[in-house]
Amino acid sequence: MSKILATSKEFNDYIENGVSVIDFFATWCGPCKMLAPVFDEASSEMSEAKFAKVDIDQNLEIATEFNVTTVPTMIIFKDGKKVDSMVGFMPKEKIIEKVKQYL
Amino acid sequence: MIVGENMRYDIAIIGSGPAGLSAAINAKIRNKNIILFGNDNLSNKIVKAPSIDNYLGFSEISGEELKDKFKKHLEDMEISITNKKINNVYSMGDYFAIMSGDEMFESTTLIIATGVEYLKPLKGEEEYLGKGVGYCATCDAPLYRGKKVAIIGYNEESEEEANFLSEIASKTYFIPMYKKGLTRSEHLDEKIEVISDRPIEIKGENLANKVLFRDSEIDIDGVFVIKDSASAKALVPGIETDGPHIVVDLNMQTSIKGCFAAGDCVGKPYSYIKSAGQGQIAAINAVSYLDKLRLQNR
Repeated sequence: MSKILATSKEFNDYIENGVSVIDFFATWCGPCKMLAPVFDEASSEMSEAKFAKVDIDQNLEIATEFNVTTVPTMIIFKDGKKVDSMVGFMPKEKIIEKVKQYL
Repeated sequence: MIVGENMRYDIAIIGSGPAGLSAAINAKIRNKNIILFGNDNLSNKIVKAPSIDNYLGFSEISGEELKDKFKKHLEDMEISITNKKINNVYSMGDYFAIMSGDEMFESTTLIIATGVEYLKPLKGEEEYLGKGVGYCATCDAPLYRGKKVAIIGYNEESEEEANFLSEIASKTYFIPMYKKGLTRSEHLDEKIEVISDRPIEIKGENLANKVLFRDSEIDIDGVFVIKDSASAKALVPGIETDGPHIVVDLNMQTSIKGCFAAGDCVGKPYSYIKSAGQGQIAAINAVSYLDKLRLQNR
């Protein structure tokens, strides 16, 4: 299971350095549930990037700050800056391919 | 053989037109455990064809007659059709999760043969997808609490989505795109404002913020577009497409491993016999993919 970032501070500290991939999800969203194991697998295959999650119901302000209007949305950060995003479910290979562009 | 929701099929085929049926027959001949999703009429397109002149072996056959011959072929081979609408397919890595409402089916490979029924997207619809434009109001509604939203509805079911949103949003506009919707439905919540004008564009900056009509516009924070047949992109998230078509190679392999596509959904010409041929190619390659997997796992 990927780590869930519970507070804004935890989130900011997490994305500050290196490449990180954040899955903005909700517990009630079907596609989010399907993405969870795929996201975990991508995470275990990529040691060069960090993978974590934000529950939008717990941290709506982070979701709003980064213009998340659909769940799931995965946002790629590099050294604290948003560099790309993927909206909706994605197969593992596509996630890895996209993240690799920023390593 | 185990029957039920807990089994994993070798090949799941979506669509009961010539491509899907031909895929099913060829997979069955090779003894694969298959599930075929479609409807009892097989294909509305075929049934409506008055006369088909280029299907090898049958000169001047009507669509209805060709359908009956297809049905007979299925019966002879003991292939049944599972009459369920598939909403989404997720590529989970070593299998596909096929969702129909609350039900889930699993298969190792997938053949998409859904045909083309292309509703041209509105200007701005695809550009702002995920940036204020969504296809599932019930999914994303909590993100629009206290905000202004519009539903562009192509079917009656979209009224339900509008009602659901109006409980959460501060203002809900309903824009019907189907005939019946033009007279305000009594099911629609009183708070919803119906706009009976054709939208021409969804506009915005970073996020969508306007729906434009010929002579007017409305300010919104989100737009939901509710249609019957989802595009291939919405059906199988992550799949590579070119306009309305799924991108495939000569083996009918799509951009997702284990996933094949055949028939009208992969491109022109839109022809029955071409579709049947491609269905066969897709099935044969799905079978060889399964065989390779079995060798790997040995």
